[in-house]
Amino acid sequence: MALIDGAYVAHAQGGKGGQRTLTLGAYTTPREAYGSGVIPAFQKFWKENHAQEVRFEESYLGSGAQSRAIVGGFEADVAALSLEPDITRIAEAGLIKRPWKTGPYRGMVSRSIVVIGVRPGNPKGIKDWDDLCRPGIQVLTPNVRTSGGAMWNVAAVFGAALRGGTSAAKGDTAAAVALLGKVLAHVTVMDKGARESMLTFERGIGDAIITYENEVMEAKLAGRAYDYVIPRSTILIENPIAVVDVYAEKHGGLDVADAFVQFVTTPEAQREFAAHGYRPVDEKVAAEFTQKFPAVPDLFTTRDLGDWGQIVKLIFNEGGIYDRALNSSQGKK
Amino acid sequence: MKRTFGAAIAAGPMGLGARVGVVLYLLFLVLIPLAAIVERGFAGGVGGIWHAVVSPMAAHALVLTLWTAALMAVVNAVMGTATAWILVRHPFPGSRFLATLVDLPFAIPTLVAGIMLVTLFGPQTALGGWLTVHGVPIVFATPGIILALLFITMPLVVRAVEPVLIELDPAEEEAAATLGAKPWTTFFRVVLPPILPAVASGTIQCFARAVAEFGSVVVVSGNIPGKTLTAPVYIFGEVEGDRPVVAAAVSVVLLLVAVGLLLATRVLQQQFVRRERA
Repeated sequence: MALIDGAYVAHAQGGKGGQRTLTLGAYTTPREAYGSGVIPAFQKFWKENHAQEVRFEESYLGSGAQSRAIVGGFEADVAALSLEPDITRIAEAGLIKRPWKTGPYRGMVSRSIVVIGVRPGNPKGIKDWDDLCRPGIQVLTPNVRTSGGAMWNVAAVFGAALRGGTSAAKGDTAAAVALLGKVLAHVTVMDKGARESMLTFERGIGDAIITYENEVMEAKLAGRAYDYVIPRSTILIENPIAVVDVYAEKHGGLDVADAFVQFVTTPEAQREFAAHGYRPVDEKVAAEFTQKFPAVPDLFTTRDLGDWGQIVKLIFNEGGIYDRALNSSQGKK
Repeated sequence: MKRTFGAAIAAGPMGLGARVGVVLYLLFLVLIPLAAIVERGFAGGVGGIWHAVVSPMAAHALVLTLWTAALMAVVNAVMGTATAWILVRHPFPGSRFLATLVDLPFAIPTLVAGIMLVTLFGPQTALGGWLTVHGVPIVFATPGIILALLFITMPLVVRAVEPVLIELDPAEEEAAATLGAKPWTTFFRVVLPPILPAVASGTIQCFARAVAEFGSVVVVSGNIPGKTLTAPVYIFGEVEGDRPVVAAAVSVVLLLVAVGLLLATRVLQQQFVRRERA
């Protein structure tokens, strides 16, 4: 074992002055933001400061699947995932040893909000969550079991209802569950991921899609035509990033991994995220993009619903609010 | 012929090695992976399987998968046999080309087959839109599931029945026709009995394959729990949702159905062979 450790150290030192490698295990939606924005900027930054090339190995998978792959032995040095529980899983497996929810942004790298995508010109006049329950409106959202993103969507609708952002009475849990059930009753296709759901919408299916602002912006960037509306009350999506220190240490790349995770919240990297439709976590950078990212009348966070552990327990566990809403949606249209 | 060939191997110096090799091959490829699933499924005991299966969403998914696969298998049995019969006994110009097309569904990734069906029958297309307005939506509803399953298993019955039909002496059919039997009578009394085991085996293969189908169904069905979510897609969701034991439990149920059916065909075929010999 000592011999193996020695070999790694030797390898790491041998790499200095030459080439370094960093493996990024990420979820699917920030592929463009990392691949063509943040990573090239970091490579430039590292080269200027350390005179070394950093070669990236990038893997993009659904957030839950990526998290499980890392726990199962996919040796990513850095994990950038959709939601906190997916990083928590890696930490609980003993692969992240240091506290990761540190720094001014508590381990978060990018933000977005849950919005309603509609057809160009919004022909059905959809403005808010309640409009999704109108007769004949067909809605798309991915399956919560297979898509971390869908959990954001469900938390957005349920949270908005609970906060009085819909026709449901404020603070009335039963009414909020009923409203969520009504929205779910209008869902005609539950794809397995956020991207697949967008593709189904682009194929012309559905009147509205519950998705994230950055997905719509990325699609618009790619020249596809649709509009979106920001509901009166919606949730702030916060995406975590962490160094998987056990793997990074094993590869002798802890310094590069730490530097990368610090780099992603610098103004330079945050502008790259903003260019790809993500709301910056850095307030100063956010101030530069107020035109692009309009303010939401009632923006709430996961902390307003408790924390992620409580949200999963309350909403998504077996027999939780999601299951109840789904059951109440059966047979309604 | 097969028996003498087998006996020759067994008698030869290679016999033992070959047998051990084949057994190990089956062990590694089939038995060990299946045992792992079964072991995982029984992690919560028989009660765990029962609990997983009676939850309303799982039960609905299982029932949906079983009935759509069964209905599809029946359609395939009839249409596959008819296709094989026409191709072998009543060729027409272009039938050889058609015969080569039969295998194509096996060469296309099932995911692509699903996308193809959505593109053809989706509510945004002329045909799909018309059907949806008239209350028969194809895609994102059960007809889409059945259509996808039909497409991907289509070659199985045709290819099971075809070689038996080719081996069958047409003289018997001609004799029946000469004696004044109508074509349908000839088919049911003369042609069908000898090809029945092949039809049954092809049909069961269709069913077993359909019960496990994921790629095309996940695209066409809409995956709404309690409505259009099939068992394989449900299992995928449970795996992704960190409930591998529930996933394995539902898999075990599908596995048991498949094993039961395969055993049943075996028994039926053996009885049939015995009757033929008697």
